[in-house]
Amino acid sequence: MIECTHVYKKYKNGVNALYDINVKIDQGEFVYIIGPTGSGKSTFIKLLDGEEVPTKGTVKVVGIDVGKLRHSKVPVYRRNIGVVFQDFRLLPSKTVFENISYALEVINMDKDLIRRRVRAVMNLVGLEDRGSSFPGQLSGGQQQRVAIARAIANRPKVLIADEPTGNLDPGMSDEIMSLLEKINDAYGTTILMVTHDMAIVNKHTKRTIVLEHGHIVADLESGGYVRHDR
Amino acid sequence: MIGRLFRPIKEGFRGVVRHGSMSFSSASAVTITLVIISLFLIFTTNVSRFTQGLEQVVQISVLVDYDYEAAEEEDRISLEIGNIEGVSEVNFSSKEDEFQYYIDSFKDEKTKEAFEPFRESNPMHDAFYVEVKNGSELEEIASKIETVEGVYRVNFGGSSAVKMISALRTIRWAGGLLALALSILAVSLIQNTIKLTIQARADEIAIMRSVGAKNGFIRSPFLVEGILIGILGSVIPVAVIYFGYKYLYEMTGGYVISNMFELIPPIPYVYYVAGVILLIGIIVGFLGSFFSVSRYLRWKR
Repeated sequence: MIECTHVYKKYKNGVNALYDINVKIDQGEFVYIIGPTGSGKSTFIKLLDGEEVPTKGTVKVVGIDVGKLRHSKVPVYRRNIGVVFQDFRLLPSKTVFENISYALEVINMDKDLIRRRVRAVMNLVGLEDRGSSFPGQLSGGQQQRVAIARAIANRPKVLIADEPTGNLDPGMSDEIMSLLEKINDAYGTTILMVTHDMAIVNKHTKRTIVLEHGHIVADLESGGYVRHDR
Repeated sequence: MIGRLFRPIKEGFRGVVRHGSMSFSSASAVTITLVIISLFLIFTTNVSRFTQGLEQVVQISVLVDYDYEAAEEEDRISLEIGNIEGVSEVNFSSKEDEFQYYIDSFKDEKTKEAFEPFRESNPMHDAFYVEVKNGSELEEIASKIETVEGVYRVNFGGSSAVKMISALRTIRWAGGLLALALSILAVSLIQNTIKLTIQARADEIAIMRSVGAKNGFIRSPFLVEGILIGILGSVIPVAVIYFGYKYLYEMTGGYVISNMFELIPPIPYVYYVAGVILLIGIIVGFLGSFFSVSRYLRWKR
């Protein structure tokens, strides 16, 4: 599903973000990526969603060599992966319903199908009665659930969650975690979650990849207790 | 398929409404500049009309010497005048016609009758009316005509008419240049305003990209928005042109200062000017958003 072989990334400004990354993540896995600020987590995500290209090595996602994609093909490639961000990134001038349906309009899905899909994911995330609200009228936890609904609406094979609980209080964070687990179970979506939140990592134990200074320093197959200073 | 065509239009309308204050400020910038442009447009087109009118009025009248009234001599004179550079037309008028014109120029019958006895001993000259291509060459051409054999006297509108024409020309040029400079300024002002409103939506564009929208899909609603803003911004200028010019025309009775300066009749003139202004508004709105959105659609990777 995701396969990185000898991936290096050096930015134009001379910063070495990633060294010799080798990772293989299978269909249906739920993986945490943890590490301190500046450890290369964000770069890793950017390589996966096509925002950056590796300096060396290959990044393959759903069988596509992401580093070799032409610019014009990147938008179409992105339809294979759903992304959820710490700051939700919802369109402020669109309603909840429109925010979710936008991701489906983009792929020219049939209107009726869009309506059914959007209702289905709104049910899944528990926001069935907030369709006509604007993002500004929702709490942080609700906004993140809209973002997740949008990310999974077109049933992507991979869901990347970049600090999805970063702006939320612990109660909300647990809710979001259960939602992600539900999606992982129900659809078999591969989930990559970047997080700082050791409480979650230690509570909902899963495979955990630890990055430090651009290196993978640990890949804990079954997860487990990770020190809080990591 | 139809849905795909209407989506940008629907989204464009939504964008204008939901970003009401931004749409308003952009449309205001368009309005202000279009009003200025339309004033200049009306000014320069009217000045241009004055000049043309004046140029038609000024013609050179050439009186033929009594000794050269034979047909072949007059043919020769006509040909020689016609060959002078800058002459566009030479028309003959016989002394009988001249006499009739003279009498007809009086309004009351008594005066007309008073001249009747002179018809037999007609004191008028055969004449040529010479029109020139360019009013500013009037003086030069008149002096050339004077040298033609058989010409008794040359009259023309006079140096004041010539001065007026060249003054109006200068005004027209200056006005045109000023209008052009203002238009360039206007476009950059409008583009800046639209750029600002789109900058505020750069995040929005980034989000659209991250969910896999292609550039065209993102851009099209913004273009519709730009066009709509251009149309909204044209409403007041078009109204100003339509009602304002009609009012001006009726107020002045169609003339400025004297009968020489005839204003262009409002119908269909105002339709043309309004159409041009609306078109400028639409083009500016379209280009403004096109350039501004495109900046955020370049792939960074």
